Amino acid sequence: MTSAKPPAPSPAPEEPSAPDAVAAGGAPSPSASSFAWARRRASVVRFWQHYRTHRAGLFGLAGLALVALAALAAPLLVGGDVQSVTRAPGRALEAPSGRFPLGTDQFGRPLLGLLVWGARISLTVGLLAAALSVAIGTLVGVLAGHYGGWAATVIMRITDWFLVMPTLVLAIVLATVMSRSVWTVIVAIGVTSWPTTARLVRAQTIAVESRPYIERARALGGGHGHIMSRHVLPNVMPLVLAQTTLGISSAILTEATLAFLGLGDPTIVSWGGMLQDAREAGAVSSGHWWYLAPPGLAIAFVALAFTLCGRAIETVLNPKLGVPR
Amino acid sequence: MVHSVPPRTPRQPVRQRPRLRLLPASAVASAVLVAATVLPVQPLLPAPQQAEAAGDRAQVLTVAVSQSVDSLSPFLAQRLVSTTVHRLAYEYLTNYDAKDARTVPGFATAWQPSADKLTWTFTIRDDSKWSDGRPATAEDAAWTFNKMMSDPNAATANGSFTANFKQVTAPDAKTLVIELKKPQATMTALDVPIVPKHIWEKVGDFSKFNNDKRFPIVGNGPFVVTDYKVDQYIRLKPNRDFWRGAPQFDELVLKYYKDGDAAVAALQKGEVSFASNLTPAQAAALKNADHIKVNDAPGRRFYALAINPGARSKDGKRFGNGHPALRDPAVRKALFQTVDRESIIDRVFQGHAVEGQGYIPPRFGPYFWQPSAEQKIAYDPDAAARTLDRAGYRKNAGGKRVGKDGRPLDLRILCHATDPNDKAIGKYLQEWWGRLGIGLKVECLDNVSDPWLAGDYDLAFDGWSVNPDPDYVLSIHTCGALPATPKDSGATDNFICDKAYDSLYAQQAVEYDAAKRAELVKQMESRLYDTGYMNVMAYPNAVEAYRTDQIKSITTMPEAAGNLWGQDGYWSWWSAVPADDGDGGTSGGGSSSTAVAIGIGAAAVVAAGLGLLVAMRRRSTAEDRE
Repeated sequence: MTSAKPPAPSPAPEEPSAPDAVAAGGAPSPSASSFAWARRRASVVRFWQHYRTHRAGLFGLAGLALVALAALAAPLLVGGDVQSVTRAPGRALEAPSGRFPLGTDQFGRPLLGLLVWGARISLTVGLLAAALSVAIGTLVGVLAGHYGGWAATVIMRITDWFLVMPTLVLAIVLATVMSRSVWTVIVAIGVTSWPTTARLVRAQTIAVESRPYIERARALGGGHGHIMSRHVLPNVMPLVLAQTTLGISSAILTEATLAFLGLGDPTIVSWGGMLQDAREAGAVSSGHWWYLAPPGLAIAFVALAFTLCGRAIETVLNPKLGVPR
Repeated sequence: MVHSVPPRTPRQPVRQRPRLRLLPASAVASAVLVAATVLPVQPLLPAPQQAEAAGDRAQVLTVAVSQSVDSLSPFLAQRLVSTTVHRLAYEYLTNYDAKDARTVPGFATAWQPSADKLTWTFTIRDDSKWSDGRPATAEDAAWTFNKMMSDPNAATANGSFTANFKQVTAPDAKTLVIELKKPQATMTALDVPIVPKHIWEKVGDFSKFNNDKRFPIVGNGPFVVTDYKVDQYIRLKPNRDFWRGAPQFDELVLKYYKDGDAAVAALQKGEVSFASNLTPAQAAALKNADHIKVNDAPGRRFYALAINPGARSKDGKRFGNGHPALRDPAVRKALFQTVDRESIIDRVFQGHAVEGQGYIPPRFGPYFWQPSAEQKIAYDPDAAARTLDRAGYRKNAGGKRVGKDGRPLDLRILCHATDPNDKAIGKYLQEWWGRLGIGLKVECLDNVSDPWLAGDYDLAFDGWSVNPDPDYVLSIHTCGALPATPKDSGATDNFICDKAYDSLYAQQAVEYDAAKRAELVKQMESRLYDTGYMNVMAYPNAVEAYRTDQIKSITTMPEAAGNLWGQDGYWSWWSAVPADDGDGGTSGGGSSSTAVAIGIGAAAVVAAGLGLLVAMRRRSTAEDRE
């Protein structure tokens, strides 16, 4: 359904959705909405059946579930005290041992606990920043694709400008001028990484709007808002979903980069922040590899998991991408 | 680093080689690269200098630095890196002995006060020349002091020394006469770089001129600044005519490493000869490294928390947005009562520091002061809570302390983004004060000067290197150091202005009796302690390391157990002796020449193999063509 294929007989769940059904038959609404729900459920099941065939996607999903579980259960697993420097249990930079499986940081805090706790920030920032970026991108893309004309030209030139600007540099500038906090990082990543989504969504919007049922809707009196929200948006959603999943991994990487460059909130534990702390403690030159490796590997692992999931979703939703990988 | 720069052979016809040669040439180059990556790099690096003869190469001493230069103008510079450069590039009237910091001759060979101690006559040496060849005379010194007395912009950095000068004259090239309004204790410790009059009299606005456009910078110190790129490097060449004797290295480069770990990695590889400000982990790792000596000595710095007392200027205007509750002594006391200095020494500095007491570090014995038992603000969180309760800052439902005006005690602290200690201690403060009900936001900036000078801070991490004569670090807390108007920047450290302190400062400044002066200085420290704007948390050690295969010997100050970077003189870099200068060579010589032999051998084998391969392929294509 994300494809540019002409309206397939296997319908997207949204296309002739509830209002259409009501308008068509004047049938009692409970049955119409339950019909719609049944179709939605069926399409979710179909999606899952397709997704299940992608082994890499399943690996990614399992990895994500693991990390998400650890992040959610962090207060139970390691306790909220793990961030405390004044109540740190160990000595500075202890090597891995039975008591501290990954050793300690320069404050004597257990690195395993920090790693688990850091997952919360990394995931939160990754998800929110990607959501923000995709939201902006979708809004810009749908508006530009729907209205066209000089406004669209202006918007797309702005998009192009953001597209050629190196994201990281722009994010660094933003993070520098704004105060140091998690929200700054989210905003900095969000407002710098939306152009790709905007371009994709715009193309998809134009493709969708060329379909006959859009003309039909317009002929029946559907306004701009109706067409964009009822017809275009549901059709670009799958694309947006895939884009979000892929965007999360790059957002997590950017967050880690910003934190590593010392632009994050220094008082909050995140994976990138841990790398920065390791660097400041001199762990690199003094050979304390156990301080550096785990957060780095964790970042790589989560980014990989999201990418695998995103690829799988993309393949399922876009049959043109073809063979399951 | 001590790397060798082979003398440039002029006009070598590189370009005119036949093109075909490029292939084997690149093959050899890549083979060398391969060999370099396979073989241990460390012994290979210093190899060329040992292979070559000693005469025709430049010995470069590279020092890793991280602090940005505030200005290369001696009239504006206050940061340690800048004043260090000025120590090297200009002469001061007097210098401090490397052994025990007593006053020794510098630009002046002798000095004589009059009976009433109001007229000082300095005899200027006649064997000092500016690096452009002109003689350096008493006239230059007189001009420098007169400029600082007449132009407030020229008095920004060192104005405390000349504020009491009545008249400075140079009756002849060898005599400098300074007349004072009142006696002045710092007359043999005037830490003012003397600049060449014939260069500086052309300068218009001293508040804007940073002395970093024309190189080499004309000076008469042991080194001459030949080049400077902001946050990249400062290059200095030895002054061959320096009266005390020329430095032995051919070049001194202060190279910027904004990242401490990168500086240490460069030290380990031999790219730099010296790195300072090591973290405990780095010091521990470097102690076990070959050819590296770690110098861990009592420092001359104090490391403090400064509380904004409400920034103001001399014209009485208040500015900045410091939290008003901090003007309440009870709040300040409670804050300091919750700072566990022992923990900071133990956990953050990991023993590489001494617990802070008074303002001046114990290294300067005569001036070192400790608070008495009843005066001391000891670590006692419960007492801090009581102090705040009594002062009317009670906890609200959310556990936050709220003032009578309803404003919660939410504070900010300015932290240097480049200083790991600031961030680390920030975390501790957040927790300590958080338990007390005081919120703390740690604002780490690359450039703390802007909010600091504007008074836009509540607390700040503060630290100064103290000179053997403490006048300067004492002067920055007097009312006289405040900026003239909110728009100006004064020499003040923390906008402190206290009558009692100022009168003590005035007394010590005119006291020639060393013991009595020390007593007054201690009283000042006591007063500063009681005002509760400054809390000295620690006296950090100077933890630094240098490569013994590049620097054979170097003078610490004090010689017994002292620092190398940021001395009160030019002793360390002036005295540094290149490691393989003259006989003996270094212990690493044998192994590195073996490594070179292996490297060359490997390169030859690989090159031969590649050559064979190329030849065969050429032949095969030739056959194919036919």
